[in-house]
Amino acid sequence: ASLLSKDPFLGIAPQDEKYYKSSRDIIICKDGSNKFTRAQLNDDFCDCSDGSDEPGTSACPSGKFYCQNAGHVPLSFFSSRVNDGICDCCDGSDEYDGKVKCPNTCWEAGKVARDKLKKKISTYQEGVTLRTLEVEQAKLAIAKDETELSKLKNEEKILKGLVQQLKERKEQIEKAEEAERLQREKEEKAKKEAEGEVNQDNTKAEKEEDKEEEKPMDSTHDDRIGILEDSPLDQDVAEHHDDSVAGVEHGDYPGNEGSPTNEIEQHAVEETEAFAHETGLDAGSEVSADEVVELGRDVSENNEALSREELGRRVASRWTGENIGQQTGEVHAVKENEHEGHEETPTDAHDEEDDGYASETDDDNQRYDDDDIEDHIDEDFGEEDHDDSSSSYKSDSDDESDFSDTTTPRNPSWLEKIQHTVRNILQAVNFFQTPVDKSEAAHVRKEYDESNAKLSKIQSRISSLTQKLKHDFGPEKEFYSFYDRCFESKQNKYVYKVCPFKQASQVEGHSTTRLGRWEKFEDSYRVMLFLNGDKCWNGPDRSLKVKLRCGLKNEVTDIDEPSRCEYIALLSTPALCLEEKLMELQHKLELMNKEQPRRHDEL
Amino acid sequence: WKKDEFRNCNQTPFCKRARSRKPGTCSLIANDVSITDGDLTAKLIPKNPQSQSQDEDQDHPDQDPIKPLILTLSVYQDGILRFKIDEDQTLNPPKKRFEVPDVVLPEFVDKKLWLQRVSTETIDGDSGISSIFYLSDGYEAVIRHDPFEVYVREKGGDRIVSVNSHGLFDFEQLREKKEGEDWEEKFRGNTDTRPYGPQSISFDVSFYGADFVYGIPEHATSLALKPTRGPGVEDSEPYRLFNLDVFEYLHDSPFGIYGSIPFMISHGKARGTTGFFWLNAAEMQIDVLGSGWDADSGISLPSSQNRIDTLWMTEAGVVDAFFFAGPGPKDVVRQYTSVTGTPAMPQEFATAYHQCRWNYRDEEDVENVDSKFDEHDIPYDVLWLDIDHTDGRRYFTWDRALFPNPEEMQKKLAAKGRHMVTIVDPHIKRDEAFPLHKEATKKGYYVKDATGKDFDGWCWPGASSYPDMLNPEIRSWWAEKFSFENYVGSTPSLYIWNDMNEPSVFNGPELTMPRDALHLGGVEHRELHNAYGYYFHMATTDGLVKRGNGKDRPFVLSRAFFPGSQRYGAVWTGDNTADWDHLRVSVPMVLTLGLTGISFSGADVGGFFGNPEPELLVRWYQLGAYYPFFRGHAHQDTKRREPWLFGERNTELMREAIHIRYMLLPYFYTLFREANTSGVPVMRPLWMEFPSDEVTFSNDEAFMVGNSLLVQGIYTERAKHASVYLPGEQSWYDIRTGTAYKGGKIHKLEISEESVPAFQRAGTIIPRKDRFRRSSTQMVNDPYTLVIAVNSSQAADGELYVDDGKSFEFEQGAYVHRRFVFSDGKLTSSNVVPNSPGKTRFSSVCVVERIILLGLSTRPKSALIEPANQKVEIELGPLWLRGGRAPAVLTIRKPNVRITDDWTIKVL
Repeated sequence: ASLLSKDPFLGIAPQDEKYYKSSRDIIICKDGSNKFTRAQLNDDFCDCSDGSDEPGTSACPSGKFYCQNAGHVPLSFFSSRVNDGICDCCDGSDEYDGKVKCPNTCWEAGKVARDKLKKKISTYQEGVTLRTLEVEQAKLAIAKDETELSKLKNEEKILKGLVQQLKERKEQIEKAEEAERLQREKEEKAKKEAEGEVNQDNTKAEKEEDKEEEKPMDSTHDDRIGILEDSPLDQDVAEHHDDSVAGVEHGDYPGNEGSPTNEIEQHAVEETEAFAHETGLDAGSEVSADEVVELGRDVSENNEALSREELGRRVASRWTGENIGQQTGEVHAVKENEHEGHEETPTDAHDEEDDGYASETDDDNQRYDDDDIEDHIDEDFGEEDHDDSSSSYKSDSDDESDFSDTTTPRNPSWLEKIQHTVRNILQAVNFFQTPVDKSEAAHVRKEYDESNAKLSKIQSRISSLTQKLKHDFGPEKEFYSFYDRCFESKQNKYVYKVCPFKQASQVEGHSTTRLGRWEKFEDSYRVMLFLNGDKCWNGPDRSLKVKLRCGLKNEVTDIDEPSRCEYIALLSTPALCLEEKLMELQHKLELMNKEQPRRHDEL
Repeated sequence: WKKDEFRNCNQTPFCKRARSRKPGTCSLIANDVSITDGDLTAKLIPKNPQSQSQDEDQDHPDQDPIKPLILTLSVYQDGILRFKIDEDQTLNPPKKRFEVPDVVLPEFVDKKLWLQRVSTETIDGDSGISSIFYLSDGYEAVIRHDPFEVYVREKGGDRIVSVNSHGLFDFEQLREKKEGEDWEEKFRGNTDTRPYGPQSISFDVSFYGADFVYGIPEHATSLALKPTRGPGVEDSEPYRLFNLDVFEYLHDSPFGIYGSIPFMISHGKARGTTGFFWLNAAEMQIDVLGSGWDADSGISLPSSQNRIDTLWMTEAGVVDAFFFAGPGPKDVVRQYTSVTGTPAMPQEFATAYHQCRWNYRDEEDVENVDSKFDEHDIPYDVLWLDIDHTDGRRYFTWDRALFPNPEEMQKKLAAKGRHMVTIVDPHIKRDEAFPLHKEATKKGYYVKDATGKDFDGWCWPGASSYPDMLNPEIRSWWAEKFSFENYVGSTPSLYIWNDMNEPSVFNGPELTMPRDALHLGGVEHRELHNAYGYYFHMATTDGLVKRGNGKDRPFVLSRAFFPGSQRYGAVWTGDNTADWDHLRVSVPMVLTLGLTGISFSGADVGGFFGNPEPELLVRWYQLGAYYPFFRGHAHQDTKRREPWLFGERNTELMREAIHIRYMLLPYFYTLFREANTSGVPVMRPLWMEFPSDEVTFSNDEAFMVGNSLLVQGIYTERAKHASVYLPGEQSWYDIRTGTAYKGGKIHKLEISEESVPAFQRAGTIIPRKDRFRRSSTQMVNDPYTLVIAVNSSQAADGELYVDDGKSFEFEQGAYVHRRFVFSDGKLTSSNVVPNSPGKTRFSSVCVVERIILLGLSTRPKSALIEPANQKVEIELGPLWLRGGRAPAVLTIRKPNVRITDDWTIKVL
């Protein structure tokens, strides 16, 4: 009885006051499980399974205790916290049995909380504006994209027709030429000089074609290197690996032959991975697991071949799943398993899909090439065309010399020009007869090749635009601008790179570990999910969850790895600064402000 | 599981040799049988010096004549016979063989009965005479002289347990190396120099009137030990006792894992229970011989009783064995723990739920996990930090980048009544900049290798050395390291975890220390191996006692163990795996540990390796809530699996499972006290409570918690039904529904996802605390609920033990130990020990707020409390406070009687 508070209505939330006060002597438990008398309300004995008879004591495990916390925000929590010796309410009302003294700290705490809330509100206010802007821009940009797309499609259609016509014409010419050639053969080689001229022309034309094609090819090539920047490394690996095998078999362990009957490491195969990685690493390279297994087989009979340290490490790595550090006996080699975990990743990827790796990268190349081309184009849009709302698409920078010229808005009639040219050609050549006009034929060829190249560019642009527009940019397209962006955050020695709609990676020096590929938004656009990253040695494929929250800048913070190879990051962005939420916060502040003068006396 | 990495019996010369011996080859006879210093002594000599070594000759052609062995038999109170055989020290053997010190309690030695009288007789069928002497009322010890045999029998009647009845006794005496002889042993590239040569011992032990044998942990296998040799057994290894760090151990194998207790218990319907314990720390291999194994031997034992024969083999040491006469299961564990000690009384917090993971990575992680427990209303008491909290796995240090403020972190938890545990392993990083290593090196405190240099092995920190814990001086030095001054960043709420103390040496033979490594006084590691972890555990525990000036009970969890480990703390079953088979085998493993003295044990809930399906995890929590040691743990490669990560429903189920444990804490604590005083384990095989019910003998799916609660695990996915055998004549009450089930029957029950089946035995009273706090610390003053389940005579009894939960004052009598008896409609509370023995008193304000009556044949409306003469209501209340559908049961409302007082409540 000493535990009981003087206030018979302790712990009751304002919205429940009616329920307890208006009832008569017998009160029904809220869940209907039982009934209790007024005297049994807060009598420190549980009568209702939902705890409704004991809002102010700890008697019911399912009960909820309400503290008003005047000056701060009210709180409702598990009634198991009542009189447990820990101050939970800032007004101290949860601890009344005299075992501890809980001073009322609501005023100070409330002030801190209100200030914090105010700050948050002002962030939201600003954020909401930024977001609105973002949404507007996104809408325009998408409209632009769509316009461009439909225009491109239209152009594609026309161009296709033209290309077809030119092709037919070209074939016609070629046929004629062939006929002519045959004719000429018959008529002997009297007209060699004239041919020479034609040839010259042709060469020139070809050269020009080459020029056009070389550039994009170069760029693709560059990109490829950019993406697969560790592929040369891989090659190294293979080479070094050979070395290391040789080392293991002959060089480093001469004692080997001496004990052929030794049964020691018969099963070394099973775990050589780690060991072999190690030897590989010692040799300054990394080794794929498949190769390692073979390597292991080679040395499997051969425990003494392992130095005692290596054996120790190898065994330790069963538990840790680590690729043991490079420096034999180095302090941090053992300590920072995280670190090692990542180091091993290139090998892992390799390991998992040794054959698959190449083909996969091929796929990736295609995909990323696309992406990258888009990126280029988009960048151009972003940087150069931002002001003029050109709806036509600007070619990749590589082609600028001829292609973009024709596509500038000032010169919108490139298509018309082509059409015109083609029309001329067609008309002109319509009347053609043998002998074929050589310059005319070259003209047709050139025109055909150019148009065809243009067509494939348009098609590739169409496909990338279509792909882009397929993405879910959020209910108000507020994430549209994320499409071309990557957010980076440096944590210790790692740089984390989050590219929404594409991929996320962790970069350390020259080694890149993919944490995941874009999957989707989750949790009502509050989370971005990247799945199927590089595989972990002893664990799952890596994955990254990016939690979004309102902030004025787009930035990634707080990357964490709570479970092995499952990453979590925070990204603050105006896109999450929602009007409704702002209103909610403002309402909360209003309530808090209103609470201040009120005293706890109505009960 | 890397089978090839470990020696099997065939690769182990002493084991192979012992297994190949034929029954009857031992030709020793007992000579000069006499009483010396209250013991019976004899010399064992070959009967016929010419024929003695037919068997030996093959191994050692130029053998010296066999020297006599000295046999000593001593009798101790309570039916315990000690049986020692060693070389004759007066003949100056090359080396003193190792006898394990510090295990047998000094108090036990004082319980020796001085033998006065030996009688001789010729027992039927024997050609020679036997000497017979008193063991206890009802039991006699017998030594047959020729051929030599020792046994215990009921007075003038049936045998109970015997040694060398099949003539398999063999003792390789130390000797000089002959020219050209090679003593080295090689295994997988490791060479054991064996400077002292062969020194193994083996003999047969027979248990009479036995249906099954149990014990000899640690193995992941069934409770009742399956035969390893004999008709119908294909190619099985013996049960191996050799402390090893086994990666991904199998769920059913006689293979030796982290700990070793060479203590076997037999049990049979006819005879009851008998125990045999061999105190020896060298590698041991034990065969359980299936009936008919000796069909060709021509040896017939003078007993028609069911008999189980076993063969015990060890690499080194002496014979120092104990026979325990029983006759009941609880008698045998009492007798065994009177030799090796009863389990320490744990702090109350340690009996609650522990949350562990390799690794909670930093302070933020710790704070986050801690607050999530509160957010989800899940109580827990201890948060654990594994190896990666340290600076490069240098124990006693912190990775200051991850844990910049360890004291503050611990204080934050302590403010919620929570504790923390950090790991301290025996391998010390060989780093000149690490003061602990420098000091140990300077002082010469490390175990030496065969050449006398500091042994250098590989473990978590890389190159490591291992303190020689056999040396009391070094243990005391180690203990000092736990002082708050020495262990920087530690606070009084921090306790310790000893892992890897087999010891685990990643680059050692069989992942452990070489057998020829040297300890104090030239003791070889082979002689001591199985006790290394025990000494390490001991030193750590002493450190915590010292730290608290002898006022704070220590808590140290150890993975390796040996007889006596129960005095120092808890153990767990090591690195298990997240699958159903491992959940299943955890029950016989924990039961076996309990039978052999180590009551405070459990398996990692959820399974260490791998990711459990949510259903498995939930089932594991539901079962693990009844392990004496209840801890969730996971490997670093696994996904996070804190109880709130698997959806609301699963969170609810795990919360409920953990709540059951917290609700039953008063009952558990009372059981821990029972173990502390009597050795009887908290978690018991059914046959310990129902020793004459044969159906229970091999049941290891279900178990008893104390004498009142039966729990049946659920070990399969999506189980809809389970067959549960409820032993005895009394009914059982489902603890959730209150439904009564008849005893002595197999019940096919419907299984829900909500719980594993658990029943309260009619005739018992279980004390509970039904309020759930953040941790057990806040429950101290909470009121009790008593659940009375009456038997067919409308009677029940039970106990409640309470003390301050942390200090040693209970040893001075500062506790409350109540006995509740319900009979004739009256519940009485009285002191178990009528006059509190000590000077200190324990006071408590706690009251009983609710008394639940199950099975009462009347429907009383009120009750009268005496002596207060106060009337209280009896109403229908919920059996279970959580959840809306709890069945209504008779409830005495708010009697509010104090637990410290004598009182009577009469049901009207």
